[in-house]
Amino acid sequence: MDNSFCSCKETLAIATVPIQQWCEPYPWETALYEGTIFPSINLLFFKAPLSTEPSKSSCKKSEKETLLDQIYAISFAVNDLTLYLDTHPDCLNGTKLFYQLIKKRVDLLTEFSDKYEPLTQFSMGIEPYDTSIYNWSEGPMPWEGGNL
Amino acid sequence: MWCYEKRLQFPVNIKTTCPKTAQLIISQYGGPDGELSASMRYLSQRYSMPVKKVGGLLTDIGTEELGHMEIICAIVYQLTRNLTEEEAKTAGFDAYYIDHTKGLFPQAAAGVPFTSLEFQSKGDAITDLFEDLAAEQKARTVYENLLRVITEPDIVAPLKFLRAREIVHFQRFGEALEMTKQQLNAKNFYYYNPEFDKK
Repeated sequence: MDNSFCSCKETLAIATVPIQQWCEPYPWETALYEGTIFPSINLLFFKAPLSTEPSKSSCKKSEKETLLDQIYAISFAVNDLTLYLDTHPDCLNGTKLFYQLIKKRVDLLTEFSDKYEPLTQFSMGIEPYDTSIYNWSEGPMPWEGGNL
Repeated sequence: MWCYEKRLQFPVNIKTTCPKTAQLIISQYGGPDGELSASMRYLSQRYSMPVKKVGGLLTDIGTEELGHMEIICAIVYQLTRNLTEEEAKTAGFDAYYIDHTKGLFPQAAAGVPFTSLEFQSKGDAITDLFEDLAAEQKARTVYENLLRVITEPDIVAPLKFLRAREIVHFQRFGEALEMTKQQLNAKNFYYYNPEFDKK
């Protein structure tokens, strides 16, 4: 990566935080439950359990829940990577990954909208113009949780 | 402009009613180091930031904090949605219930309502970035205080996620500080205020 602004020499009377170097990210599902895609800045608290990822064996998920899980994971990776790129605009690894993730996210959101209901207005179908397919207000409210 | 996406940033599925826990967690909605305060702080500071990319970072983190506010509100809502009259009286939620029933209201765990004094916007890039670094640490401490007293896995998972975000944001603000220092006089970062003095 480009280190053009990493000349962070320590100076008296001001703090310095080292610039994060690129590292191989977690798998996206894991990243969501860790709270970051980067293992190097995942610093655990001793009182919190190691894994909060829901156990895969517990009751079988519906197709809709599985798709939503993927949307959660990929979208979070986009969120975390966006902040990284805000301070590392010249990182090639990060930029390449960003475009891969954005494409995946758009595909997933479109699939979800086509099969169930839209999560964003961007993913709503364009035509036919028909009151019977207008469904922005369908689906559970985000804060209701559970039962999809 | 903001676009709404109809899902939380991190899923919240709480089955058990627990008004006492809600009354503690609500601090991260309207308390001094809560998510409302965080989002308003960053979204207010960004306008006058001298380094454009730092204004961009404040926008993106401020936006994420709005999503965190929604996660906290969803936790409080789910912990109280099936509250019975008996629980309203006895479960450590009575004072809140009298004023707000089960409605969401931004306040600290001790009942102090949200006040804009809880977020700082000082109009000096160095000062504001140190405020932001400290804010992330304060919020981390609150999440750790919550994680010491809450063990229910459905509640722990989002709290653990939110705590991890505080550390990531601290790192990003640290990098923003380095970007800002690069634009200043390396011999004396305090020679002038880049948000006010024309240099």
